[in-house]
Amino acid sequence: MRQAGVYSGIASGGISGRTGPHSLPLARIKKIMKNSNDDVKMISGEAPIVFSKACELFIEQLTKRSWAVALQAKRRTLRKDDIASAIIATDLFDFLLNLVSDSTGHEDDCHEAISK
Amino acid sequence: MEPMDIVGKTKEDASLPKATMTKIIKEMLPPDVRVARDAQDLLIECCVEFINLISSESNEVCSKEEKKTIAPEHVLKALEVLGFGEYMEDVYAAYEQHRLETMDSLKGAKWSNVAEMTEEEALAEQQRMFAEARARMNGGVTTPKQTDPEATVAKQLEPEPSMNS
Repeated sequence: MRQAGVYSGIASGGISGRTGPHSLPLARIKKIMKNSNDDVKMISGEAPIVFSKACELFIEQLTKRSWAVALQAKRRTLRKDDIASAIIATDLFDFLLNLVSDSTGHEDDCHEAISK
Repeated sequence: MEPMDIVGKTKEDASLPKATMTKIIKEMLPPDVRVARDAQDLLIECCVEFINLISSESNEVCSKEEKKTIAPEHVLKALEVLGFGEYMEDVYAAYEQHRLETMDSLKGAKWSNVAEMTEEEALAEQQRMFAEARARMNGGVTTPKQTDPEATVAKQLEPEPSMNS
């Protein structure tokens, strides 16, 4: 009686707004989780599912903000510096600053410029 | 000892599959938009970093509660603590949806009642679980909230005339 189409439609299309069926592989997420911490505890089977969804939302937020930067520059190609700009402009993404400081090369200025 | 342990894994090993990530990213953008290759790579790195961040915090939350296994509640708490509270609603909805799907497929033994639920009953059950979870999260204060994810779920379930119990 289970209609797989209905449920998968809800899970990906209805809640996040995405229409595609793609989701991140749970085993890979679990591996990353184990790598993140030397003292990592056991991970319940359901935790990677929660992570998968959180990651999608995170990617969506970062992608869309980066896209807004590209749009302002009247480009239809999303570039690495668009993502860097989005990261620098968003307090919530401060934990990503060390991933972009190489490419911007002026992270000190950016830190001073960042205001709440 | 798992076979993997012998292969001297470094912390750089685990990343997310590029093809899947590319598809997910492209779905979020207008169809004519292109994504530079190094931009894709950076997005993947950011996602891995995100997992690291939330994992570490989940680990902390789990320790503070003196539990041995990281559970979804710990992850939700970690998201909130780190400022990603706005994700919590959707994340929890997806989790509950998955639980419903899992229960539905276990047709034997004690889950037989659940497998025979109509979609209306399943939705009611889901809403009951949402309310319970909110009560847990809000420390006992339950507010019957009609939020977008649930309304969307209801809408999705309605126009399926071919479904019969």
